[in-house]
Amino acid sequence: MLEPLLDSPNKEKILIYLYTNGESYPREIARSLGLNLSAVQNQLQKLESGGVLYSKLKGKVRLYGFNPRYPFRKELEALLEKALTFISEEEKDRYYRPRLRPRRTGKPL
Amino acid sequence: MKIKEMSLRDLALYISDHLRKHGVDVVLSGGACVTIHTENKYISYDLDFVPLHYTKRSKIRDILEEIGFVEEGRHFRNPQTQFFIEFLAPPLAVGEEPVKEIAEIRSGDLLLKLLSPTDCVKDRLAAYYHWNDNQALEQALLVCRDQAVDLKEVERWSENEEMGDKFREFKRMLRK
Repeated sequence: MLEPLLDSPNKEKILIYLYTNGESYPREIARSLGLNLSAVQNQLQKLESGGVLYSKLKGKVRLYGFNPRYPFRKELEALLEKALTFISEEEKDRYYRPRLRPRRTGKPL
Repeated sequence: MKIKEMSLRDLALYISDHLRKHGVDVVLSGGACVTIHTENKYISYDLDFVPLHYTKRSKIRDILEEIGFVEEGRHFRNPQTQFFIEFLAPPLAVGEEPVKEIAEIRSGDLLLKLLSPTDCVKDRLAAYYHWNDNQALEQALLVCRDQAVDLKEVERWSENEEMGDKFREFKRMLRK
């Protein structure tokens, strides 16, 4: 939906993922969306340097989330909310529904 | 004056003027404004500049290399000084709102644009409001004690950020 604006389908998926799931780390985002890890890291770094996302280290993991100080955060979230309405329920279930229960170590997806 | 002899204020003036001569207009933001507005009651080592217009990182890198600042990760460093430079993405904003009035400091021919005391307090409070950064809260209090700050405006802005409760907490601390 937002590719013409964002110039990258990966960027759109990553933003929607973070919008629906909150904070996350590159490997989890890549695994959930079926994307290449370095492509995800590249987009996350671009979004962070643009002030859209923040990142913080938690142990050895770098977590990313929406920067609450980004001046267009509310408007961006409204755009992503609208984009979500165009996504099928099946795709939402597959990629964007936050997993609430814990995941046992070593358990496959 | 050599870079190694420069205070944070001197260095900010020197760098912003050098950038301006190369067509890059920047505004100093963050903790460095606290250092300047409180005359060093709080010392920041981080000079956060926000370009007023989108500027390619490679252009900034080339301009700063002329005066001995080399890119190291997200910062630029010069071995002659402990201060380091960072560039934040435009637009110049405090929380959700654009900065409307930019303060200026002149020294001889040099010009530095920076956040006004009132916007500096908003900027520090934004860090406190959104990150629970207590050091930023202390910085906001220091600026209020040293400078004329429009607290009515800070209150309006805080309400707009949906942080009225935290603003009242800040105001109580200011009275102590």
